[in-house]
Amino acid sequence: MKNTFDEKILEEAFDWVKSNQKVVLVTVIQTWGSSPRQTGSRMIVNEKGDFSGSISGGCVESSVVRECISLIKSNEPFKKLEFKVSNEKAWDIGLACGGEIAIYLEQIKS
Amino acid sequence: MKINTLEKIIKNKQNKKEFAIITNLSTGETELFEKNTPIAKNLERYINQINEFFRLKKNGVIEGTEIFIETYRKPVRVIVVGAVHIAQYFTKFAKSLNFEILIIDPRGYFASDQRFPDMSIINKWPEEAFKKIETNENTALIALTHDPKIDDPALQHALKKKFYYIGALGSKKTHENRCQRLKKLGFSDEQINSIHGPIGIKLGGRSAPEIALSIIAQLVSETYKNND
Repeated sequence: MKNTFDEKILEEAFDWVKSNQKVVLVTVIQTWGSSPRQTGSRMIVNEKGDFSGSISGGCVESSVVRECISLIKSNEPFKKLEFKVSNEKAWDIGLACGGEIAIYLEQIKS
Repeated sequence: MKINTLEKIIKNKQNKKEFAIITNLSTGETELFEKNTPIAKNLERYINQINEFFRLKKNGVIEGTEIFIETYRKPVRVIVVGAVHIAQYFTKFAKSLNFEILIIDPRGYFASDQRFPDMSIINKWPEEAFKKIETNENTALIALTHDPKIDDPALQHALKKKFYYIGALGSKKTHENRCQRLKKLGFSDEQINSIHGPIGIKLGGRSAPEIALSIIAQLVSETYKNND
């Protein structure tokens, strides 16, 4: 058996929007190989780069936060991103565990 | 995602509904699907896949499409018998885990709002309380009173309904006596041995919060046992 996986990030997203912050919801939509967080894991980011939740346990968060800020600035509604380890970049961003993840960024619209 | 959709998702979660968030990754549109209600026309062709995600208890993209599905099922129900000191820590620790916790205690002085500020406690004897609670093999029981008058009827109910986790507080001696009583009532050795008693994994601690933690650890471990 398996229990529902739930971290109250959506509830937090709602509170952030209600306090007039611009919020991007980030969701892990696919994983390949060994990835630190499972599909459905979430993170939220506001226009200042504050964030809550996690999508990779720390490996790609900083780069995702930057992507979220630029999504808000350019007022794009959504964007899909993929991360994997590439040798020259492994020390910078990317997943140290060798997995790959696809994530989805979407702005919450009032 | 629209804020109205987000609000509806949060409501569905609070009401413990079984539902799915369906996102079209190429248009950014989000729709909600509630189990056992008619599905939106544009999603009809995905109904089999959506039900399959529910069955497998998973989230993901439908193969060959740009449709992402996130399923929400009813959380596991955990029934705690005994609004005792350990139960206070147990409910505090379990807050960040997704269990639906119900506490039963017929003793009004234990089951007070002051001791359990955010919990509704069922102030009845277990036999009475269980008449109004739906229980099945996805339910867990944690018996904490070590008073046979209160714990035993709850344990009997849990054994009959095949709860996936049954734990009972008490020393080895207390547990031995408990097993004898259940045996006299006709429960098989296999049934009786399925009870975790003394309850909890061995952490070594003896204080109420430490025991609460050891119970939670065992509960979580049993919840995911025999899983993929």
